[in-house]
Amino acid sequence: MKHETTRPPLDPIILGHNPFFGVDHLSHEKGAARDQKFSDIRNVTAMIRFARERGVDALMLSTHPRARPICDALRAEPGISDGLRLYPVLPYIAKYVRMANEKGLTNVVLDSLSGAGIGTKLGTILKGGAGVLGRDLMKMIETLIDLEMAVFTSLDLRAVFLHQALTDLCLGLGLRGIFEFYEEYIPRRYNGAAAAYCTYNLPYLLRRLHEWGIERPVIMASFNKAGYQMNPDRPSNERALKEGGLSFVAMGTLASGYLRPAEAYEYLFRFPNVDSIVVGVSTEAHAEETFAVIRREREARGA
Amino acid sequence: MADLRIGIIGFGKMGMLHGGIVNGLEGSTLAAVAEPSDLVARALKTLKPDVRVYSDYREMLKKEDLDAAYIATPVFQHVDMGIACVEHGVSTFVEKPLSTTASEARRLVDALERRSVPNMVAWMMRYLPTFRRAKSLLESGVLGKVIQFQVTMYVSQLFRKGKGWRYDKKKSGGGLIMGPCSHALDLVTWYFGEAAFVNARQNNFYSGETEDFLHVIFEMKSGVTGWLDSSWSVRGHRLVETRFDVHGTDGTLIVTDDIVKVFLEKEAAGLSRGWTIERIPELFEGVPIDIGGGQYTRENIEFLRCVREGRSPENNVRAAWKVHRLIDAIYASAADRGAPKEPDAFGGER
Repeated sequence: MKHETTRPPLDPIILGHNPFFGVDHLSHEKGAARDQKFSDIRNVTAMIRFARERGVDALMLSTHPRARPICDALRAEPGISDGLRLYPVLPYIAKYVRMANEKGLTNVVLDSLSGAGIGTKLGTILKGGAGVLGRDLMKMIETLIDLEMAVFTSLDLRAVFLHQALTDLCLGLGLRGIFEFYEEYIPRRYNGAAAAYCTYNLPYLLRRLHEWGIERPVIMASFNKAGYQMNPDRPSNERALKEGGLSFVAMGTLASGYLRPAEAYEYLFRFPNVDSIVVGVSTEAHAEETFAVIRREREARGA
Repeated sequence: MADLRIGIIGFGKMGMLHGGIVNGLEGSTLAAVAEPSDLVARALKTLKPDVRVYSDYREMLKKEDLDAAYIATPVFQHVDMGIACVEHGVSTFVEKPLSTTASEARRLVDALERRSVPNMVAWMMRYLPTFRRAKSLLESGVLGKVIQFQVTMYVSQLFRKGKGWRYDKKKSGGGLIMGPCSHALDLVTWYFGEAAFVNARQNNFYSGETEDFLHVIFEMKSGVTGWLDSSWSVRGHRLVETRFDVHGTDGTLIVTDDIVKVFLEKEAAGLSRGWTIERIPELFEGVPIDIGGGQYTRENIEFLRCVREGRSPENNVRAAWKVHRLIDAIYASAADRGAPKEPDAFGGER
């Protein structure tokens, strides 16, 4: 890809958003407790500050409703946000699923667009042929992305991840055009930020993207000793990572808290090509321990 | 072997999900879509020109040589569409719930008796690792004689009157029960067989004509008793949370979306005495492609295997019709202040 050479490197550790949003893949109960803690945005900014004091300057943030107050707080406190790099994930899929349950997927799209002022054009678009729509379809997708991204205005973006529900849906349907569009649009529109994909199908996605000429995609996927959320199985994911041809962000490294940090990172750094790790931390003690273990294991393995 | 050619009727959220899975799996291809929305149809033509798009599902069934069709439209359309698929000899997959009522569902059961094709209803919770594990534990008999079960299912979804077909009783058949709760009722019948009697109470605080809170007491034909408490209008549950507690003479089983816990009085089937806890990462099984959860892929793999083998899985249309008899009895009991009702008295003979 033409922007490959200019693409800035990924941060080695990215603070994950899941605890801030009450997401816990192992326990709904724990998730709900964290949701209560981080509904006070000061607890979120305190955690970001704590991480930055320990050299972690990157934050992943999906377009969850709570992203807005977090971004507002970051903009209001340059002391925390200067030099902080954001890794958005879009869209916040639960919101769209809920809206689609109410009014159907088409109406969700149409209503979102009409809010952005292009809904009135849709009547005209729909009267045109497939060729006309083809052009305008991409415009609609651009608008939908920009609507989601508005919350991050003036913050420093390093990569913009497509949520795994959409990445994996487009992968399954074989929508090559969407991936080509996304690769071109994100860096152009967002100041060189990389197009990036979150997936639960790392080997499958990587194979297809390579077939489609996307040579070194940025991919975030689960990677852990338990094999949790690694499809179709752990060995295939390990092989894909060893073969390379991607910038890799490991998520789910603790298998949702199932693995202890020491064994988890000892395993992870056996593999080359782990450019970055996204970690969810809910307390300062937990953050301290996690960062220390990651750095120790990374150095021990010379990764 | 040639790929199975799949048609999807209704390309909304669930239609796209199934389309992505069948197209992503080896051995099957998304061949055609029937979708009345212009926007979706045109977007598909642009992005996926090899898929043939129809505005009318009957046209699709007539013109395409399909091995199977997936019905993912609003509930009130399921049965007519299902009958059309069956009459074309096309294997039929229907999203849950099957129908608005048992007698409506019965029409599809009858059509399948006239012409048998592989068929399935998408009770995806049967394909979640913890609930699958619970089924195998129940079948192993480690709990001894099962006495009583308790089910809770909660989600923070609805705190004002809902809009759209799902909240219109004529189109959806009901509220909470037809939504998430139908999965729990399917699991009750999968685990414990058919109910002899139910007593039910409901509260329609937010929705008016459909239920937001539900409590059901079961007397199963096997003699097992139990209860279910459910709501989509309680706070603190970001996702649907389901829990079964099953009490037997030799042990207790607790299963949630995240965890399986078994307490046994004595060692059995490789499980030690006392508590055994299995969590989701241990129970995880990879799938060839995961879109929105491996359970959907496992469900599709089972259906496609059945299509190739010319048979239907356990969670077929007839089994779903029985779930609808249970649902009808629940509604009838709730309308009669909890009077006992017999599911077998609803939704036609047999």
